[in-house]
Amino acid sequence: MAPIIELKDVSTVYEGERRPAIRDINLTLEEGEVIYVVGPNAAGKTTLLETICGLLPASMGRVLVFNLDVRKFGGRIRREIGYVPQDFMVDPGEPYTALDVVLMGRFGKIGILNKLSGEDKMKALEAMKLLGIEDLTNKPIGKLSGGQQQKVMIARAISKEPKILLLDEPFSSLDPESRERVSEMISWLNRERGITAVIVTHDLRQIHNQHSRVIVMSGGRIVAEGDFKSILESAKIFFP
Amino acid sequence: MAVTWLSYAIFQRALIGCVMTGLLTGLLGVFVVRMRLTAIGYSMAHSAFAGAALGVALGADPLITAMMFSAFTASFIGPAADKARIPVDTITSIAFSLNMALAFIFLTLSPQVGLSSEVAGVIWGSIIALTSEDLAFLTLIFLIASLLIYLFWKEFFAIMFDRRMAEADGINTRPFVYFIVFMVGLVVAFSLKLVGGILLYALLFNPASSALQFLHDMKKIIILSPVIGVISCISGFLLSLTFDVPVGACIALVSTIIFAISVALSPKRRKEVRK
Repeated sequence: MAPIIELKDVSTVYEGERRPAIRDINLTLEEGEVIYVVGPNAAGKTTLLETICGLLPASMGRVLVFNLDVRKFGGRIRREIGYVPQDFMVDPGEPYTALDVVLMGRFGKIGILNKLSGEDKMKALEAMKLLGIEDLTNKPIGKLSGGQQQKVMIARAISKEPKILLLDEPFSSLDPESRERVSEMISWLNRERGITAVIVTHDLRQIHNQHSRVIVMSGGRIVAEGDFKSILESAKIFFP
Repeated sequence: MAVTWLSYAIFQRALIGCVMTGLLTGLLGVFVVRMRLTAIGYSMAHSAFAGAALGVALGADPLITAMMFSAFTASFIGPAADKARIPVDTITSIAFSLNMALAFIFLTLSPQVGLSSEVAGVIWGSIIALTSEDLAFLTLIFLIASLLIYLFWKEFFAIMFDRRMAEADGINTRPFVYFIVFMVGLVVAFSLKLVGGILLYALLFNPASSALQFLHDMKKIIILSPVIGVISCISGFLLSLTFDVPVGACIALVSTIIFAISVALSPKRRKEVRK
């Protein structure tokens, strides 16, 4: 199968910084693959996700997604990527409902000057139902709990029917039952729709599929890569 | 007494100017506040003030020089907001002090040294300064801004929620943000005559901030904010006529009082207190 994501010798430096947040990253993902990225704080996990989708431009090396250069085709590529940022919290007075935010996921795909259709609303409601938050449709997002807001952001990413999901600590604000639900949903999307997913987590217990590929990052580099079992051994070295 | 004054064409023009300025600043203010461009709006208002002061000093049309200064600030601060190694707040703070310094130097250098009516108009605003052409331009800007906001509402809606997430969804946010910065520059330049350079920024932030206290629906906020802008401008104008004080100061005062009342009565805050 052709690689859907390909990073070749990629380093990313934040503006005003001298040290790269990620360095010399070489990573290839096949279509339909689900990988987990683990590592301690400041390992470069979030930078890796943002470099893949082009929100942060790579300072060196090349990032190809769908065989297109992210630097040149960032907007087009991001229309096919569902990105969930880490700890996205909104102010209590935010003038948007949960449905407004989920619908936004479809805006890029609909294209400029085109209005939302009934189908767009249906896709958004479908995504909310998958997350079990269909009863929150008309609630102001600022009034929701942290976990509910996180589910809204995941629904936003899914509503656009992406080919790739980039999830940054998607389980961090969720209770155990919700974590299970989100995990199952990712597996279902992967199985039924062939979605490729990169899931960042600092908690190895969140990796349910023992056969999943796991990469370990530390100090901005990939320091280990393998299946879950082999990584557990490495983990003793990296997180004693 | 105000009713008698209103029979004069000059006051009728001022009243129409109040309506158009209130509508425009109220409308654009929502984008300025939600896109967190307040520092930029603040800076634009004062650069237009410096430009108008230069116009007075040179004996040229203050509107033209105000627009030139605004255009320069818009073209400089817009990209700087995206790509600065220095925080935007720092740039705008420096621009603010520079513009105020330039404005007062230009005013001192003006042929009519001291607070002549033209100089005072640039600082505090003047109801007699608005011409029919100014009103026509304000109306045209309002129509263009409303049309473009309607056409690209979906994109603005997402950017006002979170610009980075809008980018993550594949929306190229830069033209939309630059459009708002550019429109603010234009509106500031055209509203300067009525409200004055020092207090104009109050009209960009207060109506929008007041509307945001009441509603959870952006579509309603985008309608309420211009209404509050118009109420602020007309009330300030009538106060100015009644007490013979600068119109810009009265408009800023009324809009601030409306904001204070909005905060006190805000249903959003009441719910939080109950919790």
